[in-house]
Amino acid sequence: MVQTRLGRNESISGWMFVTPALVLVGLFMIWPILWSLWMSFQTGRGMNLSFGGLANIQRLGADPIFLTALTNTLIFLAIQVPIMILLALVFAVLLNSPRIWGRGFFRTAIFLPAVTSLVAYSILFKSMFATDGLMNHVAVGLGLIPAPISWLGHPFWAKVVIILAITWRWTGYNMIFYLAALQNIDKSIYEAARIDGIPAWAQFFHITIPMLKPVIVFTTIISTIGTLQLFDEVQNITQGGPSNATLTLSQYIYNLTFRFMPSFGYAATVSYVIVLLVAILSFIQFRVARERR
Amino acid sequence: MKLKAKARSFAQGVIMAGISVFAVSAAQAEDVTVWAWDPNFNGAAMQLAAEHYKRTNPDFNLVFEVFAREEVEQKLQTQLAAGTTQGLPDIVLIEDYSAQKFLLSFPGAFEPLNDTLDYSQFADYKVQLATVGDQTYSVPFDSGVTGWFYRSDILEEAGYGADDLENITWNRFIEIAKDVHAKTGKPMLSLDLNDPGMIVVMLQSTGSWFFDDNGELNLVNNPAFRAVMETYGEILQTPEIYKVVNGWAEYTSSFTGGDVASTITGVWITGTIKAADMPGQWAVAPIPRIEGVEGARNASNLGGSSWYVLASSDNMETTKDFLATVWGNDIDFYQEILVGQGAVGSLLRVREGEAYQSSDDYYGGQPVWQNFSQWLGEIPGVDFGIFTYEVRSAIATQLPDIANGGDIDQAIQRAEAEARVLTQ
Repeated sequence: MVQTRLGRNESISGWMFVTPALVLVGLFMIWPILWSLWMSFQTGRGMNLSFGGLANIQRLGADPIFLTALTNTLIFLAIQVPIMILLALVFAVLLNSPRIWGRGFFRTAIFLPAVTSLVAYSILFKSMFATDGLMNHVAVGLGLIPAPISWLGHPFWAKVVIILAITWRWTGYNMIFYLAALQNIDKSIYEAARIDGIPAWAQFFHITIPMLKPVIVFTTIISTIGTLQLFDEVQNITQGGPSNATLTLSQYIYNLTFRFMPSFGYAATVSYVIVLLVAILSFIQFRVARERR
Repeated sequence: MKLKAKARSFAQGVIMAGISVFAVSAAQAEDVTVWAWDPNFNGAAMQLAAEHYKRTNPDFNLVFEVFAREEVEQKLQTQLAAGTTQGLPDIVLIEDYSAQKFLLSFPGAFEPLNDTLDYSQFADYKVQLATVGDQTYSVPFDSGVTGWFYRSDILEEAGYGADDLENITWNRFIEIAKDVHAKTGKPMLSLDLNDPGMIVVMLQSTGSWFFDDNGELNLVNNPAFRAVMETYGEILQTPEIYKVVNGWAEYTSSFTGGDVASTITGVWITGTIKAADMPGQWAVAPIPRIEGVEGARNASNLGGSSWYVLASSDNMETTKDFLATVWGNDIDFYQEILVGQGAVGSLLRVREGEAYQSSDDYYGGQPVWQNFSQWLGEIPGVDFGIFTYEVRSAIATQLPDIANGGDIDQAIQRAEAEARVLTQ
């Protein structure tokens, strides 16, 4: 009897502790999510919204710009994320080696882009890759290219610039995770490998990578989500152009909401496509990475 | 004694500081905040308007916040969509192409000014753009009458005088541009493939528009639009006559920095051209004409905008009085912004003023304002509708392909398909 009352008291005070957090999460997370789901079934211009059933999903199927944005986003994902993960891994292993001189300096230098503002570095990239910008001056001066390239005016090069930009910005960020994980690998494993005469490359592929697997999965998922939501860079460097060659899903949502005649309902539908993609891709990555027992 | 004096002066200081803080906050309540783009043009005009108003209302204080045009509209749209009025300005500048979009999407967000201004005094087409039902919401500002602004020194070097450039066709324009490039090495134009403003200029000069009279998309079976795209395509496929730029800053520096020999755009560019301080090196000709379309003229319109008062303004009376006194009445003010910024205002009485008759030494002594008012009268009128930027974006998507020699008819079909989705 006494014990149950105590138990009830405990659970009451327990609930009281979590209530403020729950209310805030409900108000600022769950409610907007539900509201946006409701909104994705609405059609209409500006604030004049009405229930449209599946009209937005039909519109999605017949929308060439949506398809372009989806393709661009997946291209960025498929090319940029593997390059960045691999680079981050290589940098981390190199900078973990005690034989490298100036490790601290290089670690800081490579991580530094991750603390810069997305908008600020985007604007720097934009000016560097302008037709009469730094990149063309240097490349023409060194004789790498015969004539200045219109980086931001050409559909292919504009994509390259965006991929370069996000790789520059995020490689150091991922490297830090790997560096931390590398410190946790027991040194005796490498020692045993050395005694058995295993070459360094085999140590990397057969010890380092398997030991880092959970972190690699984590960074891949984080990077996938980040790339699916890619917005700041394209908005500031190319504005999605030329010819929608760098338009991403997030930017399309922005255009639908804030740049064109506002279609809040349809924009919400497109944003649920991102949710769906993140869910599917994360699920696949978890499955692929799961230990076989 | 000394200490006491110190204490007293300290107390005085605190009181004075208190008073000045009070004064500052009191002044802030009287502030009228304005959002607009282009400090050389809209900014300069608005600041001058404030100066005129201050002569009779010395307490008046104008806070001018400048952004890019797209940013002003997106910021405004974001805030209105969020349903919060905090942080909104009292007055905002909206381009004519977007006016109806805002008025229809956000009913109640803007203040009707029928009781503040006498709209019969303003150019009728500007009033129509800002009217929904029987309410009109704008203080009509500038016209976007277009001109061909060229570097007279560069064209002279290539052997072209003002008479050679009067009332020509676009085909002749391309010939001249090729010749100028061959003789001086300078391209004639700078083009931003993300912003096909020139197509808008060309299309309105034919009297046609992206939409028909019923507001339906009108691209695929529109012979005028096809002629425009063909002409523009020919320019795009002649790479020596244009420089590709990205964004507004690169665009303006291309002609103020002397990289290109001319630009074809609205009269409002005068503010930027004059800010470059190159008197005597510039001149203005009428824009070229589209060939093979009946009714096509050597005159068109690009941009042009009006001031709107937010219904949420907490300073409504001052704001309205300011607009009515200066923008609705002050002829001297309009003459000054005409000569200084090239602002061809919409207040009709001003056109009889002296400034419109004067010649401009910056433009080599041409009677430019008389020319512009004449061209203004020749612009074919069109109804912009509510989706101009959607269609512009759909057209911009096709430009790189056209530049590479792609088929015009297919490009038009793709543009219409894309525009159809965006205008749902």
